[in-house]
Amino acid sequence: MRCTGSPVPTATLLDPGAAAWSAVPAELIDLGGTPLANQPSGFVRSYDPARVGRVKRLEVRTTHADDTILFRLLWADDTRNLEVTDNDTFPDGCGILFPLADGDVPIQEMGGPGKPVNAWFWRADFEDRPRNVVAEGLGTTRATARSLVSARSRWEGGGWQVVLARPLAVPEQLGEAVQLAVGSSTKVGFAVWEGSNGERGGIKAFSREWRRLEIA
Amino acid sequence: MSTYGDKQTLRAAKRQVAMVFDLNKCLGCQTCVVACKRQWTRDEGMEYMWWATVNTQPGKGTPRDWENMGGGFRDGVAQSGRLPTRPDFGDAWDFNYDEVFAGGKGSSAHLVPSGDPDWGPNWDEDQGGGQYPNSFYFYLPRICNHCTNPACLEACPRNAIYKRDEDGIVLINEERCRGYRFCMEACPYKKIYFNHVRQISQKCIFCFPRVEKGVAPACARQCPGRLRFVGYLDDETGPIHKLVHVWKVALPLHPEYGTQPNVYYVPPISPPRFGPDGRVDTSKPRIPTEYLRYLFGDAVDGALATLEAEMAKTKAGGRSEILDTLIVYEWKQLLGPFTRDPATVEPRKA
Repeated sequence: MRCTGSPVPTATLLDPGAAAWSAVPAELIDLGGTPLANQPSGFVRSYDPARVGRVKRLEVRTTHADDTILFRLLWADDTRNLEVTDNDTFPDGCGILFPLADGDVPIQEMGGPGKPVNAWFWRADFEDRPRNVVAEGLGTTRATARSLVSARSRWEGGGWQVVLARPLAVPEQLGEAVQLAVGSSTKVGFAVWEGSNGERGGIKAFSREWRRLEIA
Repeated sequence: MSTYGDKQTLRAAKRQVAMVFDLNKCLGCQTCVVACKRQWTRDEGMEYMWWATVNTQPGKGTPRDWENMGGGFRDGVAQSGRLPTRPDFGDAWDFNYDEVFAGGKGSSAHLVPSGDPDWGPNWDEDQGGGQYPNSFYFYLPRICNHCTNPACLEACPRNAIYKRDEDGIVLINEERCRGYRFCMEACPYKKIYFNHVRQISQKCIFCFPRVEKGVAPACARQCPGRLRFVGYLDDETGPIHKLVHVWKVALPLHPEYGTQPNVYYVPPISPPRFGPDGRVDTSKPRIPTEYLRYLFGDAVDGALATLEAEMAKTKAGGRSEILDTLIVYEWKQLLGPFTRDPATVEPRKA
């Protein structure tokens, strides 16, 4: 996956419907339900695996402008789950995952002890304030006090369009957020939670392998 | 407590506090329910929560139809469950307090709930079962069972739920809870609530701040029927150990759910039925034993037989240690080591 610079200002690109996005190459990513065998809950392990991971495919475009990197995630979803309206409802969400350590950081377990990952976590009820999350394995996610990730979203024509943006470098968040730069590369992963399917926490659809993201 | 501790560590406890509820003494007054409400669930987001409930049996209970919502374990395997909704719990009704208390309408305005509620946490009170003249009902108080094998604890992927080492009280660590609600789905007793303001799950805490000061949980301390025994299960001199383990007249609710509850019930003894000729038929109890087996398992037969034999003993002029224990001549014997007057505890500074 290549992220190249855009002449269009960030403020414009934050709009998921901005025409400029059509000039950015799209990559289609197959998603799969998270494996249940390693979930840290006997109850979740007993879930029907066929029920996990409703969203099967995600379109991702990425570009950078004004020292900010932007991702537009687009997926089909005919149910718009905006918030927790009752005990049995869950909002839609999506996330982008980066390793925070070199070497073999597992994506299936969201990192591991001493192998942290950084997630940018958007949920429909977060009011465009995605969380910056650090994890060292399943069940260990922790939202940091500060998040420099911003988002704009819209649900239209039976699907979500979500733009997630963050300054490439965030020196004030060393150790708790991935540091990006033009000319560098990192691994990246994606996840989607389908609220109408009761997806939350480890129950989600995700890109089963890391992809290489090159920022040029 | 270990932050990311394994389930076995989170489940372990050196001792276990327990309660025994004598259903023959519950008058359905809801004082325990209100005592708990006043103590713990008055904050925003907790309006619809009733950590302690009392429902009429047979009945749908709280939340509505909870016995058919799944969860728990079968042969050690976690069973899928359904999330109880706010309407299932009866939700929190809004009342016209302003109109009644400040509307200047005098006695012409009356308190009424807004909307047209069709369920509440005690909606089917006193309906019960059976046909006249053999209709019957009894009250079933419930709290979190502080299970030895809690389905909620097993379900939480964040290991936010744990048993306290010193007393086995099951608590949710609100810092770790992310509001996923797997615990609500997994608890077969459906005794966990979701706080929509704080986006976390909450439940009965066995009044642990009171217990730590030697004060009994509010529901037990305030119970006018004096039917809620509190104490440590392993205290061989206390009534709970004797009622549960020695005399076996106190049984867990729905033991087949596989969570090993630490709240036990002395089953209700029935008056006899009326026969078709209107005469008393002493051969059958008014409350069908089959129904009590459904609630408390097959062990209810033995418990009822013991209670009846003890009653026969006293009728014949003898004494019964079991009945004396259940009568509770000295009120504070109910409360085990937690007899301290709450009024003597210095309130915590805010």
